[in-house]
Amino acid sequence: MLEEFVSWIGSSDLAITIQQSDWLFPTFEVFHVLAISIVVGVIAIMDLRLLGIASRNSRVTQIAHDTLPLVWVAFVIAVVSGVLMFISNAPVYFINTAFRFKMLLIVLAGINMLYFEFVTARSVKAWDEGVATVPPAGKMAAALSLLFWVGVVGFGRWVGFTLDFFSGSGLDQYLTAAP
Amino acid sequence: MQAIVQWIYHSPLSLSLQGQTWLVALGQTIHILAIAAVLSSVLMVNLRVLRFAGNAQTVGETTGRYLPWIWWGLLVLALSGALLIIIEPERPLTSPLFWIKMVLMLAGIAVTLAFRNHASAHPELWERPEHRRSMVLGFAAVNVVIWCGIIFAGRWIAYASAA
Repeated sequence: MLEEFVSWIGSSDLAITIQQSDWLFPTFEVFHVLAISIVVGVIAIMDLRLLGIASRNSRVTQIAHDTLPLVWVAFVIAVVSGVLMFISNAPVYFINTAFRFKMLLIVLAGINMLYFEFVTARSVKAWDEGVATVPPAGKMAAALSLLFWVGVVGFGRWVGFTLDFFSGSGLDQYLTAAP
Repeated sequence: MQAIVQWIYHSPLSLSLQGQTWLVALGQTIHILAIAAVLSSVLMVNLRVLRFAGNAQTVGETTGRYLPWIWWGLLVLALSGALLIIIEPERPLTSPLFWIKMVLMLAGIAVTLAFRNHASAHPELWERPEHRRSMVLGFAAVNVVIWCGIIFAGRWIAYASAA
């Protein structure tokens, strides 16, 4: 069922259009890199505050107010550009191990964020100011968030090294040929 | 340029690292994480001078918070970028996009330094941008063009040289 759906989008008109274009895929990738950089970098601002490493004089709720809208806008751009890249060769991405790890880490990052938002942060008023008052659960959420998002970037980059749609030469194309 | 490419390519360091795909992937991952730090820091400074976010802090506090991440991020970018060039010198060094990216990076550093010096000498001009709207808007717009241009050029190096 899922395999059939993936196979269907992989052979759709949109997939073929992206595959045959010289510039569509790289353009989606530029937007994807821009957006994921903002997602990871801006989430890290909150994580580093919770860990007491940076923005130590700012309130936690103030940092959340300043960063969360940016994260959501960038995340939507990353998802849209990512889905478009996925569509271009859906069956190949679908069975790619690095891609699957990346998706798993995004899900874990989402669960971590929801748990923080709806459980840990319910008592945020008690530890909004000062870095020493952040509870262990808050610091754990921040550390996991950093770990998951660094993993998303790492596996995301690794996907590019395990797939090759353009020359059919596999991994060798990334190894230097004698200039 | 070909002579430099050849020299790097045949250096013992490059020869010992060529073919280490995992090292290229690791170097690129570190490169992207450093881009995340720099880009997000530039964005937060931009939003603060435009008064869209971070208004609880002064412009001076905001630059104190984010400028060190820009400088250290740029250092990590230079080091991870140098590693990638040592492993594979020809593709970047012979690509016009790489040199456009370097010029943009120098422009980004110059704009950030000029902003830092001007904002510390005249904090009131940046704190109350309604008096200097064109200066603040110009600074933000130039930043967006420079840093988006760097990402665009950087990602296209891989495609333009393969074409």
